[in-house]
Amino acid sequence: MSASSLLAQSLVAGYGERTILNDVSLTVQAGKTTAIVGANACGKSTLLRVLSRLLTPEQGEVLLDGNAIHRLPTRRLAQQLGFLPQSPIAPEGISVLELVSRGRHPHQGLFKRWSAADEAAVADALSATHMTDLAECAVDELSGGQRQRVWIAMALAQQTDVLLLDEPTTFLDINHQIEVLDLLTDLNQTRGTTIVMVLHELNLAARYADRLVAMAGGNVYAVGEPEDVFTEQMVRDVFGLESRVIDDPVTGKPMMIPLGRHGRAHTAEGI
Amino acid sequence: MSHLTHQPAARFSQMRRAQARQRWRMLAMLGAVLLAGVMLTLTLGQSFTPLTTVLRILGGAEVPGAGFTVRELRLPRTVISVLTGACFGLGGIAFQTMLRNPLASPDIIGISTGASTGAVFAIVVLSMSGPAVSVVAIVAGLGVALLIYVLSWRQGVTGGRLILIGIGLAAMLQSVTTYLLMRAPSWTLQEALRWITGSVNGAQLDQALPLLIALLLFGGLLLSRSRDLETLRLGDDIAAGLGIRLATTRIIIVTSAVALVAFATAVSGPIAFVAFLSGPIASRLTGRNGSLLIPSALVGALLVLLGDYAGQFLLPARYPVGIVTGVLGAPYLVYLIIRDNKSRGTL
Repeated sequence: MSASSLLAQSLVAGYGERTILNDVSLTVQAGKTTAIVGANACGKSTLLRVLSRLLTPEQGEVLLDGNAIHRLPTRRLAQQLGFLPQSPIAPEGISVLELVSRGRHPHQGLFKRWSAADEAAVADALSATHMTDLAECAVDELSGGQRQRVWIAMALAQQTDVLLLDEPTTFLDINHQIEVLDLLTDLNQTRGTTIVMVLHELNLAARYADRLVAMAGGNVYAVGEPEDVFTEQMVRDVFGLESRVIDDPVTGKPMMIPLGRHGRAHTAEGI
Repeated sequence: MSHLTHQPAARFSQMRRAQARQRWRMLAMLGAVLLAGVMLTLTLGQSFTPLTTVLRILGGAEVPGAGFTVRELRLPRTVISVLTGACFGLGGIAFQTMLRNPLASPDIIGISTGASTGAVFAIVVLSMSGPAVSVVAIVAGLGVALLIYVLSWRQGVTGGRLILIGIGLAAMLQSVTTYLLMRAPSWTLQEALRWITGSVNGAQLDQALPLLIALLLFGGLLLSRSRDLETLRLGDDIAAGLGIRLATTRIIIVTSAVALVAFATAVSGPIAFVAFLSGPIASRLTGRNGSLLIPSALVGALLVLLGDYAGQFLLPARYPVGIVTGVLGAPYLVYLIIRDNKSRGTL
């Protein structure tokens, strides 16, 4: 599977009268993991929706390996680019196997039967997400972390070169957040899948992403490696928060310690 | 990696085959029950006609006494019951699946009521009859569907708002139907009831052909989209991400479902709750993995067939089928609303 690049050119997009993205351009590097961070309502989910073609931009376009995605046939796009929305809801009673099998939809024609390749893709996806043993379970009986793994397995079964995820760790306990991010990193490293995800948690974003995109007010504030983008200045400008950014003692990646009103007083005393 | 995953893949294939077998068994069972129901309604009414005699009559033989009963009284009723029931069942499950909510059935959100109002309007005001009535019913049904959609549009349509607006519209249209019926004093109570709760009283065999064609055409269209419909259950965003053209798919599904419901309504009136009940019953019977279209059609046919039979022969007085299915459906509606308030239910 070769890595695919995604290029956004001067995107203007929004909902109805409300413009959310003002002239956003972005190069997503092939084969890398990119995390989009920013305060609430800064346009990060909107950007992801435009990148995945769920939202048509008013101006500008998104190029996938040089082709404008809004002109690609829907099915062909779905063979190359997968999208996982924020906290999807599984239909009542559907089994893990059944849900993950839906990921094969873009690879199946109107009359094409379920093939050995389809079955192999589903088996691979379930094994990569450690869900093989739970294949027969109903999705709504699983824990939050397992459920998220099922959805990711569905996206894996789709076998796309690019995978876009909107806050894949929301509503998960910290151990499950790490589990999901580890899984995505595995995927990136073993299959070379280009991953773009919106993440809330800055420290996790810096730790797991090769590249960070910081957004503010519907624009890209900074793009680059976490070491370059993740600064106290960025946290101040993007989140309106005073902080101390230090090197994570485990990975050496940047890590942020917020200085709340109380936190700051305490720090000042301590130092 | 492939030798590692070989075994689970084989296991999954086996699971799928077992599931498919289970589905076929359930479909065969539903089909058998329906066939038994058809035989029951053809053989046993006020009098009993042996099955062999019924078959001879259907084959064209003249049997004094029984011939009229079977050919003119029972057969049209049975055929129309099965066809309308299947149409309602399909239309219902298509809407419920697409909007991911069992309350989003065409008979709850006003589409059947709209078709019924259209049919009554065509008959009373425009003095139409025959296929023209069906056409007006379909146009009215589609019009109501469009109106609900437009009224509930606010940067996208959510199921909850659409359902509430539909329920409101249904109430309004119901009163329009009642008003039109009151303006036409020559109508019998029986016939008025047909347009309010639905009935197969006075069913004619020549109504069956257009209904059958509609069922094959629009039912076939829905079946050709059954995989898309199943994928839509995962949510619009996921379905779009999996390569489904949302707008096109929705238009095909809505048009087919409305046409099915409207064709059936033009013949039998809006038989209460059949569209609403068929899908959930089918889902209980066959499980929630795989398409519910055909099971729902069979359950719908059974509901109307047996509901009408019960209304005719099993209850102390004769009731139109809509009253019987209404009594069955109302408690389920209350249950769903209570449950929906506790946890967001999808179908």
